[in-house]
Amino acid sequence: MNKTMLIVMREFSERVRKKSFIITTLLMPLLMIGLMLAPSLIMLYGKGSAKRVVVVDRSGLVAGALTSGDELLFETLEGMSVAEACTTYDDESDIFAILAIDDDVMTNPRAVKLITNSSSSITIEEAITSQIENIVEREKLKAYDIEDLDRIMAEVDTHIDLETVKNNGTGDLDSMESTSSGVNYILGLVLGMLLYMIIIIYGQMVMTSVIEEKNSRVIDVMVSSCSPFQIMMGKIAGVALVAVTQIAIWALLIIGASKFVVPAVFPTEVAATSTGMMSAMIGTFSDAGYITMLFGYMLLFILGGFLFYASMFAASGSSVDSVQDAQQFNTIIMLPIILGIIVMMQVFNDPNSDMVFWFSIIPFTSPVVMMARIPFDIPAWEVILSLVILYASFVATVWIAAKIYRVGIFMHGKKPSFKELWQWIKMK
Amino acid sequence: MDNILTIEGVSKSYTGHKALDNVSLAIPRGSIYGLLGPNGAGKTTLIRVINRITIPDSGRVLLDGKPITVDDIYHIGYMPEERGLYKKMRVGDQAIFFARLKGMSKADAAKRLHEWFERLGLSEWWGRKVEDLSKGMAQKVQFISTVVHEPKLLIFDEPFSGFDPINANLLKEEIMGLRDRGATVIFSTHNMASVEEICDHITLINKSRNILSGSVEEIRRAAGGNTFTVVFSGDEQQLRTLLGGRVTILGESSGLIGGYTQLKIHIPSDDDIRGVIAALNDNCRLRSFQEVMPSMNDIFIRAVEGRL
Repeated sequence: MNKTMLIVMREFSERVRKKSFIITTLLMPLLMIGLMLAPSLIMLYGKGSAKRVVVVDRSGLVAGALTSGDELLFETLEGMSVAEACTTYDDESDIFAILAIDDDVMTNPRAVKLITNSSSSITIEEAITSQIENIVEREKLKAYDIEDLDRIMAEVDTHIDLETVKNNGTGDLDSMESTSSGVNYILGLVLGMLLYMIIIIYGQMVMTSVIEEKNSRVIDVMVSSCSPFQIMMGKIAGVALVAVTQIAIWALLIIGASKFVVPAVFPTEVAATSTGMMSAMIGTFSDAGYITMLFGYMLLFILGGFLFYASMFAASGSSVDSVQDAQQFNTIIMLPIILGIIVMMQVFNDPNSDMVFWFSIIPFTSPVVMMARIPFDIPAWEVILSLVILYASFVATVWIAAKIYRVGIFMHGKKPSFKELWQWIKMK
Repeated sequence: MDNILTIEGVSKSYTGHKALDNVSLAIPRGSIYGLLGPNGAGKTTLIRVINRITIPDSGRVLLDGKPITVDDIYHIGYMPEERGLYKKMRVGDQAIFFARLKGMSKADAAKRLHEWFERLGLSEWWGRKVEDLSKGMAQKVQFISTVVHEPKLLIFDEPFSGFDPINANLLKEEIMGLRDRGATVIFSTHNMASVEEICDHITLINKSRNILSGSVEEIRRAAGGNTFTVVFSGDEQQLRTLLGGRVTILGESSGLIGGYTQLKIHIPSDDDIRGVIAALNDNCRLRSFQEVMPSMNDIFIRAVEGRL
């Protein structure tokens, strides 16, 4: 077997056998799906038991109109003052709170008090205020003596469910694919961040591994068997293979989940009745083909971005003796990736602006920014151009990194200055 | 003589100091060649020049009379001073990995490695991680990894450091065995005792220069210089007066068992040796008279101090 391949296989098999690899590989997709679907799931299944609220209403207008729901149960108290209620329903009782309404509630916005026995929450407070606001509004409208008020109110109540579709030039609206910028936003954000994380985590893995080889002097034994370039490339390729394996497993798990788990958790009637973001989200995740396409692009960009940056991380690791010493170089390497994250935020304002376009073509930021743009259905040539440039620049970074690497791995002691690094690059 | 490796006028400077200053030496095929010298003399630099980790500023290294190439290096067995093993990797996997990097097939490597592990008493550690090994055992693994592909040229940097006497002996025997099977062994050390036992040839490096080269036998004889120990009983004072001017007394230990006294003397003139013996014999009860071959340690110290 070829020596580089031997190094690749060693790097790969040592890493995938680690417990940490197996655990993160299995847990990550669960975490991802969980994070994206958690809000909907909590809405569906996460209802707590109803809280009992006793109402002392001195105005006589509100208490009768309050409607109890799944979360709040209103009980009207007749003939009891607020002070009496407070002593009767204290900590010992299973009453959540006392809602005190003064008789000037129509004119005084501060006429309502919620006296709680335990801590309250924003949702509860909002639910109560919005109910009372509605009741008071209706009471005020009644003062205008409009006929058929209830019917009119029911008629003017309006809800818009906007569907965004992508113009395909045929004029046939039914054939146009529906897109939702909300879902695109979340997908783009998640993909961009994921790419950023993987490049940094795996890039630093290359770096620490280089430092380990250098410090344990394994490198001295290795160079008596193969060239520094083979060792560096073997290591980068080995870690890349680990990354690809991990993402492939994630993809399988997530595609599997989108085919079987999402439809099972969200029965069709739920998906049909839910509106807006949530239905779009469920729709996207049930579309296994779309998810496969996304993972395909992601794999290409992660590989390209990783190779581009990993060689720099390898050079950084080779030139120092400890991870701490590498920090200075890492900061510089990571600056463009972080810039990419900042630009990525602009993608969500306008995925086709000039700035965003260029940042998704220039190799330093292109993986992260382009990945965030892909859910917005941008022209294929832009994606391909970005990929070609990324892979071509990888050759350049490897060439420079190899020059630093072959000198750095034998240098112990003082951390080199940038001037010295430049001399290493120029060295024949 | 047939030299496997020739080093011609190699110099290497690092910023601020000269690590090697015009070093030349020739390593005979099939010998065990010791590179001796104090710490920081340049031994490791020389080794790194030989296996092309370090490129010399001037001079060249010839293998079988031809400038050494990268491909040649890949066939050398090299064990660096600071042992290099992956801590988290299993011992057997690791040994196989290094053997395959040297071009052995997986099956062949496994077979021969198992033989070596058996021989050095490491078999039960095959499936353990390197970090579980003691330092000595890790060194044995490193040694095996260095020699398993049976290179014709082996380079060990300080092979005995960190070994207990029993294992150091084991290693010496293995090194001699490798030589007997046709390999040439170069090793650096500052442990002179090991040199006396196993080296055929040495080079002494001090302050970046080659200050002494040759076969161990010749060097010891040349440095021997008419030094003798005399064990006797009798009037020591009288004897000192008698010998005064003819010999230099280098050392003395009196009150040995049986009332004997031992003197270490140096006789400047070869012709006078018999005369001194006669004089001793006439004036005391002479028990023994013996030539002292200097230890490599003495030679080393004298050479370094410039007294040789």
